[in-house]
Amino acid sequence: MARVKLTDVKKVYDNNVVAVHDFNLDIADKEFIVFVGPSGCGKSTTLRMVAGLEEISSGTVEIDGVVVNDLQPKDRDISMVFQNYALYPHLTVFENIAFPLRLQKVPQEEVFKKVTEVSEILGITEYLNRKPRALSGGQRQRVAIGRAMVRNPKVFLMDEPLSNLDAKLRNQMRAEIILLRKRIDTTFIYVTHDQTEAMTLGDRIVIMKDGYIQQVGTPDEVFDQPKNLFVAEFIGAPKMNTFRTNLIKENGEYYVTPFGSKLLVDGLKGEELKKRKIEPQEVILGVRPEHMVLGKDADNDIDAKILVNEMMGSELHLHVVTNDNTELIVRVPTVDLSHEERAKLTSGNEFHITFKGNVMNFFDVESEENLLN
Amino acid sequence: MTTTPKKHMGLKAKERLSNTIIYILLITISIVWLIPFIFLVFESFRVESTYQVGYVVPKQFGLDNYINLFTKTDFPIWFKNTFIIGLFASVIQTIIVLCMSYTLSRLRFKGRKLLMNVMLVLGFFPGFLSMIILYKVLSWFNLTSANSVPGLILVYVASSGMGYYVSKGFFDTISRSLDEAARVDGATRFQVFTKIIMPLSKPIVIYTILTAFMAPWGDFMFAKYISHATSAGMNVAVGLQYLISTPQNLSAYYTMFCAGGVLVAIPITILFMCLQRYYVEGVTGGAVKG
Repeated sequence: MARVKLTDVKKVYDNNVVAVHDFNLDIADKEFIVFVGPSGCGKSTTLRMVAGLEEISSGTVEIDGVVVNDLQPKDRDISMVFQNYALYPHLTVFENIAFPLRLQKVPQEEVFKKVTEVSEILGITEYLNRKPRALSGGQRQRVAIGRAMVRNPKVFLMDEPLSNLDAKLRNQMRAEIILLRKRIDTTFIYVTHDQTEAMTLGDRIVIMKDGYIQQVGTPDEVFDQPKNLFVAEFIGAPKMNTFRTNLIKENGEYYVTPFGSKLLVDGLKGEELKKRKIEPQEVILGVRPEHMVLGKDADNDIDAKILVNEMMGSELHLHVVTNDNTELIVRVPTVDLSHEERAKLTSGNEFHITFKGNVMNFFDVESEENLLN
Repeated sequence: MTTTPKKHMGLKAKERLSNTIIYILLITISIVWLIPFIFLVFESFRVESTYQVGYVVPKQFGLDNYINLFTKTDFPIWFKNTFIIGLFASVIQTIIVLCMSYTLSRLRFKGRKLLMNVMLVLGFFPGFLSMIILYKVLSWFNLTSANSVPGLILVYVASSGMGYYVSKGFFDTISRSLDEAARVDGATRFQVFTKIIMPLSKPIVIYTILTAFMAPWGDFMFAKYISHATSAGMNVAVGLQYLISTPQNLSAYYTMFCAGGVLVAIPITILFMCLQRYYVEGVTGGAVKG
């Protein structure tokens, strides 16, 4: 349990490559923070600087009000789960979990008590006498989490802990981490490249690219109000459709004019545009695949032709092409579709798509920043 | 129906033929390789003469040569010298090599690459090039002749850091995340080394001990030069050669020389047999998902 504060943290490698630029973040006590971004964005480097495994080139990292820049990892009272588990192969599961306690010279009875407790929480009591090599990937990951839990650290660091698991197990472990988090109730910093993990786990998400923070916010905020085009495209799957178009103003209402049509921007977004008196201009329009629906609407529809129909089970992902050859992805829940309707949604068929004007995003053509920031 | 089995027979026969050829070749090589050892053992048990004879199998078997070696020559001193040198050299050298390799494998510091390259290049020069200088230096400290045991230990140990390649290569295969996990778990660098890396490196530790022990055990050149014809400072190789260094001595001590040869081989053989199982033991399985 601790507050973690990063101030102007910078990482420059020996070859003068800057991995992290002026990183500023204040993590509240017991908060679950997720660093997310594509590979090479500096998220793991930042985590490793908090852990003390990577030297901090400039700036400060504080844990519980103490600057830890010059403290060894062992003196920071943190624990960490690694992507490749990093279990000690020569030790049994019991000794792996007990390892941090052994280093602290905790009495044998207490070690036994704590290891038993942790292994019960994680459901690994029956494997305590096994060596790591006799465990499956999911079991190994539990042991790694157990080893990190056993000490009640101030900060719990996780570096892509689920990346080595298969998709099914990953979903299961993700849910378990949410439960675990409620039990451990400490400060978490979690690194992942997977936006689903970030959205489902984080109280707040830090989205990074090329060593810069792009946006810090709750899952709702980063999804609904992406600060820039990068965040908009990174969060959400399938990714947001983006294309250039014109934002115009007629009779006090804002419209966008993609693919030779004229679509009304209404609802919250329309009001925001009016309130801020945004100048009509060329914009990058961002529309999420779920913010378009099939069917005709007097104001807000366009014509499109289906390229590919991906059946996902609960929904269809339609890859469509508009009259000016822009490719879009439309997400259609299958539950509302009749058999006849579904049969029509095959490659080559034409139909109408209606845009929901109240959830559109507008980005500056030059800076790619959200116009409504 | 009839052709298929025939074809199978053909394949089998071919395989058998190639196996036969391989075995004949291997057996021939082993015989050639073993003959000197067998001769040596036979000679060492011969009682009827102390000089070379025209046949191999002794007419009379006995332990006379072994007894004489211990009672009539300085062999016990040489053996003791060699053992002390081997023991100290292997312990000290193993510690130095392992620390060196771990450092080069895990720590990043200025001049690391340069250091490794310099050591690699220096390693290309035959060690005996430095013999004359070494003798000079050791004689300043009075570590030659009768005092050559500590002198030789110093010589064998001094450059041991340069033999880091094999163990560094081994350490490189151990995932660095194990080090990092241990450091986060509360271990110092030294504890990481002793509690994580060492237990995982048994095979390479054993290998280092064995090579560090064997090199001084069989060394002749340095030992001969530094002991400088003083029997009290000789190791077995130099001593045994000294035993038969003149024609008269050759005929008087030849069979004892052979007995000495057999005795020299015994400790190494025992050591190797005790430790060889670690060579094959793979201990890193399951550490990191492969």
